[in-house]
Amino acid sequence: MNEIIYLIYLLTFIIGSILGLLFSYKQHNEPFIYNKSDILVLIIAILAWILLIDSDILSSIVNPIISISIGLFLIGFVLGMRPGYGRYETLIGLIISIAIYGVKYFLL
Amino acid sequence: MLDIIINVLIAFLFGSILLGFHRKVMARVQLRPGPPIIQQFLHSLKFFFKETTFPKTASMPFYISIVCILCAIWITAVIIGPVSKGSLLLMFAVYAVYKIVEHNAGSSSGSPYGKMSCVRAVFSASSELPLFAIIFIIYLQVGSMNISDIIAYQNIHGSLIWQLPLVAIVLFILILSKSPYSPFGITKGKDVISGYETEHFGLLRGYIMFSESVSWYIFSWLFLTIFFGDLSILLYIVGMLAISFLTGLINATTPILNPNHSVVSQISIALVGIVGSLLLMFIF
Repeated sequence: MNEIIYLIYLLTFIIGSILGLLFSYKQHNEPFIYNKSDILVLIIAILAWILLIDSDILSSIVNPIISISIGLFLIGFVLGMRPGYGRYETLIGLIISIAIYGVKYFLL
Repeated sequence: MLDIIINVLIAFLFGSILLGFHRKVMARVQLRPGPPIIQQFLHSLKFFFKETTFPKTASMPFYISIVCILCAIWITAVIIGPVSKGSLLLMFAVYAVYKIVEHNAGSSSGSPYGKMSCVRAVFSASSELPLFAIIFIIYLQVGSMNISDIIAYQNIHGSLIWQLPLVAIVLFILILSKSPYSPFGITKGKDVISGYETEHFGLLRGYIMFSESVSWYIFSWLFLTIFFGDLSILLYIVGMLAISFLTGLINATTPILNPNHSVVSQISIALVGIVGSLLLMFIF
């Protein structure tokens, strides 16, 4: 049973990465010039890491397996973007989500 | 049966991601952006849909069947390893057969590069099998070759990496020698183009890449299970990423050794590992 869940996680991550790659190539046709973060991608990254790290956050609505799968899909989407894009958003998303998790469980 | 299929799929998908990550690490060390980490997986998929052509010089039934055998032996490794947690001795046998297959894949194409790689596969077998033979030290320590027994031993006595550090180093060198662009990767050194893979195209190349991904996953899994016991899924992921990161870092900063140097280095490491481990076990 566990293996099937791991397989679902892997597949969602890979599908997310492929879609992220296609999306970023469609969005950025130009040669690699990068000087600012994409706000939309940053929001996706923050949401993704929150769903993965704090997978019980939506437990009243959906099963944690589904929220982790959605989180991995979105992480794959951001991380799998065209080389050079999405990496800072991933890092900032990770830091912010860890901070939110820390505040929620240790301070509140 | 379903268990085997799922484990093979996990090994292929996660092995592809690990090899993609390995490639990314190498690229970043060399100040390149590098491909996305799913590139290895996309490459493997691509070859499954490419036209398969056959060289005129190929010895025909053998040329195709050797690729099937390559896939079969790594699927067998998945069954022995993550599925049934069987004997390390069987894993050693799988590895020995893999070296023979590597040798024959080179010779069956009829290409001079393949033949050169085929000769080098024999060289590398003579040095990599002694590296893998260090598992007998694990037997002396644990009293069993079964992976399930090794896990049970570690649950009682703690991780084997603290008791057999030299064995861990030797097995890490074995993993390093199987990684892409390894200093010990003489069978696929760029002086022989892609070695035994040079003349395999389309679907056949897809199966070879599938086998490479599965083998990388299996080696990482084996190393972590032997030296750290039964880890949680998160620790397995972190461990496998760490192994891929370390090998990528080493491969990006070291040249590929020539066959003589590679063989002598590996045999020396195996010798130091075996003698050193015996001394640590019986004297100290």
